[in-house]
Amino acid sequence: MSAIPTPARWSELLARLRQRTFRTSPGDRDAVVLRHSRIYILPTKRGWTMIATLLTMLLASLNYALALGVGVTFLLTGLLAAALLHTFRNLAGIEVTPLAAGETFAGGHVAFTLALHGGAATRTQVTLAAAGATATGDVPAGAALTLTLDVAAPLRGNVALGRVTLLSDFPLGLWRGWAYVHFPIHGIAYPAVEIGAPPLPRSYGGADALAAGRGDDNDLAGLREFQRGDPPQRIAWKAVARGAGWYTKEFEGAGGGGPIALAWNELPPSLATEARLSRLAAWILAAERAARPFALTLPGIALPARQGRDHRRQALTALALYSDEYRR
Amino acid sequence: MSAARASGRPRKAAKPTRAHAITAPQIRWLGALLIAAQLPQAVHLPIWVALIGFTLVLVRLALLERNRVRPHAKPARIPSWALVVFAIAAAGALKVSFGYLLGREPSVAFLYILVGIKFLETRTTRDGALLCCLACFLLMTPFLYSQSLFAAVAALPALLIVGATLDSLNRIPTDSAMHAPWRETVQRSGIMLLQGIPIAVLLFLLFPRLASPLWGLPADYRATTGLSDRMSPGQISDLSLSDTVAFRVDFEGPVPAPSQRYWRGPVLTRFDGRSWTAARAESQGELARYDAPSIAYTVALEPHDKPWLFALDVPAALPRVPRSPIGEPGSEIGTLTRDQRLLARTPVAQPLRYAQISVLRDRYPGRPDLDVSPNTQLPRSNNRTLAFARGLRSTHPSDRAYISAVLRWFNTESFVYTLTPPLAGRDPVDFFLFEERRGFCEHYASAFVVLLRAAGIPARIVTGYQGGEINPRGEYMIVRHSDAHAWAEALLDGEWQRFDPTAAVAPSRIEMGLGGALPTGAPVPFLARLDIGWLKNVRLVWDAVNHDWRRNVIGYNHDRQRSLWRDLDIDPPKLPWIVAVVAAFITLWGTGVLGFMMWTRNRRNDRALVLWNLLTRRLAHAGLPRHCHEGPMAFARRAAQRWPRFGIAFAAIGEAFSALRYGAMATARERDALVATLERAIEVLPPAGALRTTT
Repeated sequence: MSAIPTPARWSELLARLRQRTFRTSPGDRDAVVLRHSRIYILPTKRGWTMIATLLTMLLASLNYALALGVGVTFLLTGLLAAALLHTFRNLAGIEVTPLAAGETFAGGHVAFTLALHGGAATRTQVTLAAAGATATGDVPAGAALTLTLDVAAPLRGNVALGRVTLLSDFPLGLWRGWAYVHFPIHGIAYPAVEIGAPPLPRSYGGADALAAGRGDDNDLAGLREFQRGDPPQRIAWKAVARGAGWYTKEFEGAGGGGPIALAWNELPPSLATEARLSRLAAWILAAERAARPFALTLPGIALPARQGRDHRRQALTALALYSDEYRR
Repeated sequence: MSAARASGRPRKAAKPTRAHAITAPQIRWLGALLIAAQLPQAVHLPIWVALIGFTLVLVRLALLERNRVRPHAKPARIPSWALVVFAIAAAGALKVSFGYLLGREPSVAFLYILVGIKFLETRTTRDGALLCCLACFLLMTPFLYSQSLFAAVAALPALLIVGATLDSLNRIPTDSAMHAPWRETVQRSGIMLLQGIPIAVLLFLLFPRLASPLWGLPADYRATTGLSDRMSPGQISDLSLSDTVAFRVDFEGPVPAPSQRYWRGPVLTRFDGRSWTAARAESQGELARYDAPSIAYTVALEPHDKPWLFALDVPAALPRVPRSPIGEPGSEIGTLTRDQRLLARTPVAQPLRYAQISVLRDRYPGRPDLDVSPNTQLPRSNNRTLAFARGLRSTHPSDRAYISAVLRWFNTESFVYTLTPPLAGRDPVDFFLFEERRGFCEHYASAFVVLLRAAGIPARIVTGYQGGEINPRGEYMIVRHSDAHAWAEALLDGEWQRFDPTAAVAPSRIEMGLGGALPTGAPVPFLARLDIGWLKNVRLVWDAVNHDWRRNVIGYNHDRQRSLWRDLDIDPPKLPWIVAVVAAFITLWGTGVLGFMMWTRNRRNDRALVLWNLLTRRLAHAGLPRHCHEGPMAFARRAAQRWPRFGIAFAAIGEAFSALRYGAMATARERDALVATLERAIEVLPPAGALRTTT
């Protein structure tokens, strides 16, 4: 290898340096332990004010040849320097683990949960900040602190957490220490739900008429073990109250009615893309509430008629990630 | 989903150090800081200023208390405009009280009141931080008045509270834990202050000091005691009433006898019949060569706002930076005038130390061609004295015989040495010599010189200090203003020779100081008395401590810094050297302090937790990492399955650790027993390498 890097190698080195310094791309695959190479420390505004005060005091002391004034100024400088070390120590060794990324509808907030482990020491007033959201807490010694960042999601689609800044100005507020971590995690924002959407389209196969007289909660077919995400109105509360455990009611015919077909192409042609997606999202939620299976057909995507949390999520995700390009 | 987030969301916190409304504990900390910063300053201020400053702080604390007692009442607030009006009124009052406003003392007084006013309108943590900075500045101002050991100690509490206040201001108030306990806050701030001391010492030693002030020290209307270039009757006797230290001397060799301790100060030539003043300008003098043994010493001079430096009669070298070689260019800090006075280049406005060499002689070469006429000038007054001199002169044609006759006359006539002579009228010398015959050294010296001049002998007055007390605690000499003295010198045979007429009247003044010369019962300054016993002893010990303090801390200045570098063989100090020394030191310090923090953290930490962490690390090395969801009991069970041979040990470990961490522990003894169990159970286990291969 030549001693002088080629221009291509230069730009590669530069990019690596930028990544190392600012963590601009999501390069942290695993839990990150903050070491000195990641931690930056600079004075806060309060710190600068203090430094300016100390400089003034120093100048006055030197001019009036006040040895004690100089002494007091330098003792405070020592305090400032020691505070720097404490700020560093408060951050060094923290382990940051991404735990979960949430889901929401466009216009809401995606909750990202991260865990901080401090090891044997208490870490005081550690703030996580990413994409305009902040959360602060103390990490107890030997335990973890989970913090949730609510990141605003104005549009549908994937919501990346982006670069997270971990910062603290403990103990005196004179120094701010910070470190960047960048995990490749993202939550999802489903299309905004249309308010006042028309009623669900009729089910295919004439099952609708059959269902009309029965309502939702007739013909209990049995109980199955509760799974996270089951709608609360279908939990067998009586069983819970008896202490028998958590069960979910299942209805005959896998729902309160026949399966519904939700299809992009059957919506009025006047509707724009986002309005269509919003209406479909509203219908998916309505079908969920009515405990009826539904099939979803989008250009390029077809989900068979099913029911349940995973199906709903799959359908909403398909809506969230829908792109007009699929139509071509 | 969204409901769950709303309830489970951790408290939203703004970015740190954004301005929050200030909380009650923060106000209390600020109040404590202000009181601690005001106290050392208050003693140097007019009493009304001191009281107003305290009152403002106390009012704020009282309002806080009221808000606490009546939490639902509208919080009491003093409007900002009222405070502005108050500040302007305070400035006006200061102007009236001091007579001027733009000087050091009124500024300090104004700052002192201002922090109180600012405290009353402190509403956010940002205001609080600003106030903290103001308090830091206030912490420094008492040193303008006094830099004693006591002043240094008085600043310490406030220094400690500065850290605690900043700590408290940085706490984001939450619903649950409002504030850290004050003890913890103080402890942390104290630890940081201690950790910062090496940095403080390094900066104190190495940070470049100024050789001369950057901006002119404002004339501060401060009446410093000390000799002046003018002597009117009563002036030196006033000075003699002061116990204040003029300077301290460390002798390198034996201390000269009391009768040889003439510290030469201003020389007064011109006489207007009543007052003596110095000659207008003195030309540069030359050091005379003497073949007598010289005596070397170091003088620590208190500031007296005048240029003169004191040396024993007669200076044999120019004053120079202590511990610098003689004759080194740039080390000399003063010049010599033709009348053998030493002058600093600027008025001595700060404590000054200089090395000096003198030859103990009572005469030095004069210049008859230049010296005669200015030193024989006499006004047309004090006619009786002139007539008396003419009469005496006619019987003593020789100069020396005449002087001896005058001294003998002083000695044999009924002259009284007293600190409280009667006030003289128009012809003070006549009045003194022929009517009252009661006087102090200035009267004798003045009359003596007039008598000599009347006889045509060139003579002048020398003021300075005579004597000095050896402090046995520190082996150095203290010269106080009560040692101020005036004597005379006459030009005989081309040499200026010292005569002390006071010695003719009260020889014990020269041998034993003021206390020995005055009759018992006369108002002698406390420390000038000869027998006070233990109280004087205590004060001497205290003075010795203070002398060391002044010599090594207060007196550490530009020159001492140079000599420090010289001792390190780095002279003159080059910037790369300074940077290298400082960088090496800071690295060492940072590593040391961080290492110490890690070490104490591990020690202070729960012993059980430390053991547990060690164990989990060892088992992870042995191939059994703990899952993060796994509690101690579950992990111990899994370990027992993996290594059935140590099943009992693992069970004990799991139980002891969970009991220690999560159980309700009644007594410390129970805890200790459990920790011991844990320790012993862990000792049973082989090291990680051996564990990996066992089953």
